[in-house]
Amino acid sequence: MADSTKVGKTFDPIVWEVERGKIREMAKAIGDPNPIYLDRDAAIRAGYRDTPVPPTFLTVPMMWSSSMPVLINDLKINFMMVLHGEEEYEYYRDIYPGDTITGVPKVASVEEKTSKAGKKMDMVTVEILYKNQHNEDVAKARTLLVERK
Amino acid sequence: MGNELYFEDIKVGDALPELSKGPIMKLQHVLYAGASGDFNPLHTDDDFAKAVGMKDGVISHGMLIMGFVGQAITAWVPRKCLRKFGVRFAGMTKPGNTIMVSGTVTDKRQENGENLVFCEVVARDEGGDVKITGNFSAALPLKRG
Repeated sequence: MADSTKVGKTFDPIVWEVERGKIREMAKAIGDPNPIYLDRDAAIRAGYRDTPVPPTFLTVPMMWSSSMPVLINDLKINFMMVLHGEEEYEYYRDIYPGDTITGVPKVASVEEKTSKAGKKMDMVTVEILYKNQHNEDVAKARTLLVERK
Repeated sequence: MGNELYFEDIKVGDALPELSKGPIMKLQHVLYAGASGDFNPLHTDDDFAKAVGMKDGVISHGMLIMGFVGQAITAWVPRKCLRKFGVRFAGMTKPGNTIMVSGTVTDKRQENGENLVFCEVVARDEGGDVKITGNFSAALPLKRG
């Protein structure tokens, strides 16, 4: 089961240089034709400084950094029994190509719950506050992992 | 994008324009794995998926379906207006599914100098099964700023 003594623990920072090509790749993988994600000129015409990142882009630094497997191991969560229960983003500032964003994963809470069917589950909430190269908060990601037992 | 959306024009109960995505192909899982960095073989390797109990093989990345919802949202409100976006993953999506994203305005209020609209969103497959429920808030401009 998830190790509840790890609440409050922080992990190695995720450092990610945002690239225009990666933004376009993410939009194309989703199949989002919105030109603001694909074309710098279209983004500028729509009032952006450059191509902004799609709303779920922060999964990119999180997944490519492999920070979640490290955290799951450290919390002694059974990888085969873990589900992605919820994901939430708060957006504070625009993120653009050329920005370097840094996020520190933190275990926000570990709670045991019992499902309607009577099964016990551990609910692990991980928060990552991302800052840009100017040390400004740009976004927060909150992930709920559910470990079935 | 081109057509401006103003706080005054939004009413509680308004529906977001619906978005239909799919049918999802396995190839899209490969594209999304590469883009996102989520290489869990549960999404790209039928043999692996069957070995861990998925009788029909691979399932879609939950974050891909959240991406569809994000597409629907930012086709309606400008990306820069989005303040918060959260979802609960309610069901698994499989290749062949077509996902319909819909949403409704649930509240609007002025808060901390911003004109916020709050909406619920839901993603269902062609059979009506719910894949994602969620909500978002966006800060919209006033007609006379």
